[in-house]
Amino acid sequence: MSKKRKISLSEEELVLALQQREKIAAEALYDMYSASLFGVIVRIVNDEAIAEDVLQDTFIKIWNSFSSYSTEKGRLFTWMVNIARNLAIDKVRSKDFKNQTKNQELENNVTFIDEQRNTVYKPELLGVKDLVEQLKPEQKSILDLVYFKGYTHVEAADELGVPLGTIKTRLRAAIIQLRKYFN
Amino acid sequence: MEDIKAYIESGILELYVLGDVTPQERAQVEDMAHKHPAVKAELAEIERSMKLYADENAVEPSEDLRNRVLNSLVTNLSDDRNYKSARTMAEENDNIIPISRARSNTFFKYAFAACFALLIISIAALFSVYHRLQESNNLVASLQSQNQRFANQTSLMDSELSIFRDPSFKMLKLQGTPKSPSSALMVAWSPRNKKVMIDMANANMPVNDKDHQYQLWALVGKKPVDLGVFDADTTSKGMKEMKSIASADAFAVTLEPRGGSPTPTMDQMMVIGKF
Repeated sequence: MSKKRKISLSEEELVLALQQREKIAAEALYDMYSASLFGVIVRIVNDEAIAEDVLQDTFIKIWNSFSSYSTEKGRLFTWMVNIARNLAIDKVRSKDFKNQTKNQELENNVTFIDEQRNTVYKPELLGVKDLVEQLKPEQKSILDLVYFKGYTHVEAADELGVPLGTIKTRLRAAIIQLRKYFN
Repeated sequence: MEDIKAYIESGILELYVLGDVTPQERAQVEDMAHKHPAVKAELAEIERSMKLYADENAVEPSEDLRNRVLNSLVTNLSDDRNYKSARTMAEENDNIIPISRARSNTFFKYAFAACFALLIISIAALFSVYHRLQESNNLVASLQSQNQRFANQTSLMDSELSIFRDPSFKMLKLQGTPKSPSSALMVAWSPRNKKVMIDMANANMPVNDKDHQYQLWALVGKKPVDLGVFDADTTSKGMKEMKSIASADAFAVTLEPRGGSPTPTMDQMMVIGKF
């Protein structure tokens, strides 16, 4: 898709380069993670232009507060996707966002965006789509609500009308299912 | 070990990876992961699968966003390097409000513009006032010189008028000789004041050249006495005071070489008059 050669580093190299605030680190960071983070953001805000703004804010925040990340706390992506999700949720809850967009039906959103956009398939993920579809519907809906819609598990319990304990169980089951497939 | 297995199965690790935990829960998970390799391994697995799930659902943002984002990061990069200490201070100090600085900036900008405009207007006004002052000065100067001229003329006329008012003055009209029949010079003489005046107003004397001048003579018992020289031209219209004399029987004017002669040249007599 990109005409330019994308820069890719190992996670350790990238973290080191980011800590030293090298320019190549910014480029690698963008090339390696922009699509995955954008996938999360665009599903939350449902508007490409706004999602691009949020993605930009996300990278700026990652860049500026990188000193607060440490490898001991977990993977870089986990830290970044939480920043992206929080900024996207803040955006959705902000006044001007509420003024310019109407509420849309929840269930339609993920498939709607998938139909609208060409999702990126990576070679190592070939065939995964089918496997993900083997997730039980209730597992997929809870996973997508929390992961792609920015719901807390408490809000998801409200939305789906199931007890908190069930939400946690289903979420864990969904992720275990994913783990099996990715292994 | 049972506790750890139950902890893992509680679902808290998944919520931790999804960022859906309280700060207390977060600290607890991090503490557990630090103490128990099994928890840490479980977290790594969850994180890995979530990353792959995100990759699978990735959406490529538009091409030009890459430059936009990188430019904003590179701008921040140079900011960080140049103003690191200032930024840290600003972050620590809550009462630094950037907007007020921006506001005062615009205020000073407008204030400066207003001052500059005022300066331009003032200079223009100054020039205009200076110009008018110059005009007024010229007018005053010309009025003054005019006034001076009037004053001079008035005092001259006063002195002329005083002669006619003075009863001691005798008026004598010198008639033109055959040499200049149309000439007629008025002489006013006051024996008491020993003053002799000639009036050029209607003298109608021929204009003398550069080498000659008219000379006034008084005849005292047939003897001519020099009373001074004068010129006649088209502009000489006033009265002229001549040398004084106490007594005279007659007055005459002759044309003499410039500066006058000791004795009159009789054949050059222009006008003569007797009492």
